[in-house]
Amino acid sequence: MAIKRLFIANRGEIALRIVRAAQALNVETVVAVSDADRDSAAARMADRIVVLGPASATKSYLDPRLVVHAAKESGCDGLHPGYGFLSERAILPRLCKEHGVAFVGPEADVIDALGDKLRARAMASAAGVPLVPGSECIASAADARREGDRIGYPVLLKASAGGGGRGMVIAHNGDDAEAGFHKASAEAVAAFGDGTLFMERFVPQARHVEVQLMGDGKGKVIHFGERDCSVQRRYQKLLEEAPCAAMPDHLRAQLHQSAVDLAASVNYRNAGTAEFLYDVQRQEFYFIEVNARIQVEHPVSEMISGFDLVQEQIRIAGGADLALSQDQVKLSGHAIECRINAEDSTRDFMPSPGRITKWKAPTGEGVRLDSHMSEGAMIPPYYDSMVGKLIVHAPTRAEAISKLRDAIDDFVVEGVPTTLPLHRAIIDHPDFIANRIHTRWLEQVFLAEQARTAA
Amino acid sequence: MFSDALKQLLDEFSRSGVRELHIRKADFELFLSTDSTSGRARSVSLSVPATLTPAVVATPANAPVVAPAPQPAVAAPSALPAGATIVPAPNLGTFYRAPKPGAANYVEVGSKVAAGEELCLIEVMKLFTAVRADESGTVHSVLVEDGAMVEGGQPLFALLRD
Repeated sequence: MAIKRLFIANRGEIALRIVRAAQALNVETVVAVSDADRDSAAARMADRIVVLGPASATKSYLDPRLVVHAAKESGCDGLHPGYGFLSERAILPRLCKEHGVAFVGPEADVIDALGDKLRARAMASAAGVPLVPGSECIASAADARREGDRIGYPVLLKASAGGGGRGMVIAHNGDDAEAGFHKASAEAVAAFGDGTLFMERFVPQARHVEVQLMGDGKGKVIHFGERDCSVQRRYQKLLEEAPCAAMPDHLRAQLHQSAVDLAASVNYRNAGTAEFLYDVQRQEFYFIEVNARIQVEHPVSEMISGFDLVQEQIRIAGGADLALSQDQVKLSGHAIECRINAEDSTRDFMPSPGRITKWKAPTGEGVRLDSHMSEGAMIPPYYDSMVGKLIVHAPTRAEAISKLRDAIDDFVVEGVPTTLPLHRAIIDHPDFIANRIHTRWLEQVFLAEQARTAA
Repeated sequence: MFSDALKQLLDEFSRSGVRELHIRKADFELFLSTDSTSGRARSVSLSVPATLTPAVVATPANAPVVAPAPQPAVAAPSALPAGATIVPAPNLGTFYRAPKPGAANYVEVGSKVAAGEELCLIEVMKLFTAVRADESGTVHSVLVEDGAMVEGGQPLFALLRD
């Protein structure tokens, strides 16, 4: 049964993005807001709003019972979780099912399985997807040394329940591995309440590539190509591209197939992303994890494919089959997205909430802005600092860079500092232009150079 | 024009018997107090940038805001003993007394702290900053409720030096 009224359990640009997609499908929209977001762009555009509670996310956007109750009470028959907040908490689809609300995302059991990194690795392995050489569960410091010796240093100790870089330690030798075991285990307990660790070979200069997937839960899975998200700071993506221009075609075809095989092996439903490390020297890719939701950087895949992934999500959640076949997904050109954060990159990326006093966004062919901001809009201090995403599309990577440069130059934002000047400098850097970057490039090379120049 | 309005406001404030009045509107802020020893006025006037405050977030942009009465559980800085050191918030954000929900507070009133010891966390936009004691001493009072939004420079703790 197609969804008639969609509850949007998120805020910011993604809430607005989902409202627009729903409206294009003639689906009514109810946006959940906290007290701080009553006047947001998504709230103004939606048919209705429901105030969940106070500004604090734990008392509003992060309370699954409150969210599902609000969806039910407002007469919604579908719920879109967006990204972040509750989007990958299995309790949300479970509660939705209990209350007869269609969840726009995978089955609860699939979210549970993929959210546990050890189980996800086992599933990938069973589907024939390459894994970075690694260990099973590490039970002791002695275990850590033995496994490190076997895998070959440097190695990475990771929390099984982890994410966002917490509970992660690099070890360069056996002594490091023993000490790292204690540190990572303590961090994992503190951050996730679960100290279970595993170990992987550490690739010092890897690229982060990921495949956009869509399944209908009835066995059909297709992909929308890959993205390269190697420009990162503290494991947070800042700029994303599609396709990964550094990857040869034969490897790209294997990458797509691996991702599709993995998703098909769990009968994956709705949008998801399979993330991989790409070791450019060895010309190998290794599975990292699956993100069981729509991602921040989905627009670059939309730009090169021409499909609206959020509309597709809503249709599939309403029970529709995947209307597309893989042959119909034709990828063309190159797209780049930069995340515009209200942060001062000259002051160690200090978040900067406040009021936007001027907002003049660039326009033009192949230029897209996903943002909930406008002149006079307030950026509250309670949530993350992303205020929008600027996306460009052009026939080649060089042309896309040039288009992005012009778009940033035309972009006027006043009132709060943003990361736009940082992006302008990144895309002017010879390493970025020559595509000689890796996941640590921004911190080790680019920001280090900037710090030296400023000193 | 502006000074006329201000003069009228001052007159009415004096007549009203109200002890404190706090108005914020966009980048304008006014704090009036009949208490000459009030430390709050000083901290506010020193610290508030032309940026948002929590009161602005929660109210229509054009409505003046009168600050709520101080929470009873929170000591007024004006009541501090001589020699107390104020630990201010480094930036705007949410004040957390414990490293994570459910965990024990970093410090309580009466806790002995060493120089460099963590006192609390300030979170803004998912960035947590630990606030540390500059010098060793005893926690005399906690000036803000756990979970409250604080402004940059706002007093958080009063410490008594050893």
